[in-house]
Amino acid sequence: MSQASQGVETHGFLGEEFLTWMWFKWETEGGEFTLSGGRIVGIAIDDFLTFAALTEDETEQTLRRGSPTRTEEARTALRQGHRLRKARLLIAEGERQWTATIDAPSLTLGGVKLPEDAEECESEMDRTADRAANWLALHEIVQALYRLFLKERLTSDYQSTGAEQQANWMAR
Amino acid sequence: MAAIRKSGGVVPYFWQGKLVDPRDDEFAEHLSLQRFRTIENAASEEVSVGWITPADPTGDNFSPEDLDGGIGTWLRFRIDKKSMPMKWLQIHRDAAEKARGKKMSAKERRELKEDLMDQLLPRVLPTITLVDALLFDDRKTVLLFATSKSAKEAFTKLFFETFSIQLEPADPLQSGMRSDISDELKHTLERVNPIRWPNTTLDSAKTRAPITDMPRPAPKVVEPKVVKKPKTETPVSDSSQNESPPFEVDEAADDASSTNDTFADGMSAETTSTEDAPEAPVEAKMEDQQ
Repeated sequence: MSQASQGVETHGFLGEEFLTWMWFKWETEGGEFTLSGGRIVGIAIDDFLTFAALTEDETEQTLRRGSPTRTEEARTALRQGHRLRKARLLIAEGERQWTATIDAPSLTLGGVKLPEDAEECESEMDRTADRAANWLALHEIVQALYRLFLKERLTSDYQSTGAEQQANWMAR
Repeated sequence: MAAIRKSGGVVPYFWQGKLVDPRDDEFAEHLSLQRFRTIENAASEEVSVGWITPADPTGDNFSPEDLDGGIGTWLRFRIDKKSMPMKWLQIHRDAAEKARGKKMSAKERRELKEDLMDQLLPRVLPTITLVDALLFDDRKTVLLFATSKSAKEAFTKLFFETFSIQLEPADPLQSGMRSDISDELKHTLERVNPIRWPNTTLDSAKTRAPITDMPRPAPKVVEPKVVKKPKTETPVSDSSQNESPPFEVDEAADDASSTNDTFADGMSAETTSTEDAPEAPVEAKMEDQQ
């Protein structure tokens, strides 16, 4: 196995903590993030959640349709200390909105829907250019959100500050 | 030429080092050296993987304008796979056994299979999979529009063979190491352990267990692939027979990996995979993605 592909094995948990952290931020602070350069993006958890099993023998729990974050099953999973493994997110910046399912351990995106093509697009080449810009923007937003998370997560006092607040939220 | 897709799954990769400038003719020349080569008339089971362009599915032309993806470079590669339909083998074997009134021996079955492969494979058309990617040279990032294990492996291998550059998946470790966080935080990132979130369903109403770390998972040890020896009297001495093809030929193994990979959405002319999220459209054909 190459060193590169070991990242999912050794640090996949960090992607799961990142996804759970976004849920926490969305519920407690509204889900608006200011990225570098002053870009403001909003996120919301949509209609699909999968909780990671705490051990290899445990069953993964998936909740779909409606508002799964508001269900008693989701609250119980959080109280039990489960992290999110996958979630479908709405991501918005200005007029543009994407939906994507993040697979946390690998940070790959599934079921992406890009914003509608810009009205100015008159040719297939225009549409390709517009969509390419939207694909890149989505990738960069996810990377920028992850960077925000890391800056908080990797500080030496995280367990007594951010993690403590999140644990209280999870225990509600 | 239709526009690039607007939905589906995507796997980001990073690279280090210098890539040939995609605006230069040399870039197209590199693609051309690893262009797709047809196996339409091949008389054996095989796989062909190579570059084409969105405008020309044959791999014969690599005009730089065909690679124009706006702020990125639009790459497309093609995977053709020719395999013997197992149902045909079964039908012919059943017919042969019925005609002679008894079961065939293992040796006779093998001979029948070889005869049928010689006869039928030239008539079998390969399955075709077309996969797109968007390359952003200034960011050293490429987005692959397929999430099946076999497509990812084929792409990273083809990319390396073309540009001698190893792609790294943008997983939580690599994404952090590539970000602008301080060197100190990167050092911490390499060694960070998971948080053990308290299970408050077990706690008393007034107290909550403290937050603690737990051990970081170790990378799984991958056992070397065991290759079954053919049932012949003479041992296999040619090591090349044991090498894995660039694109998984073993149907069962490939299916298993696709099933496990819940993001698999290989953009295939055939259906190669499944989709993950609810209500998300299953994009089995490139035409559906426009």
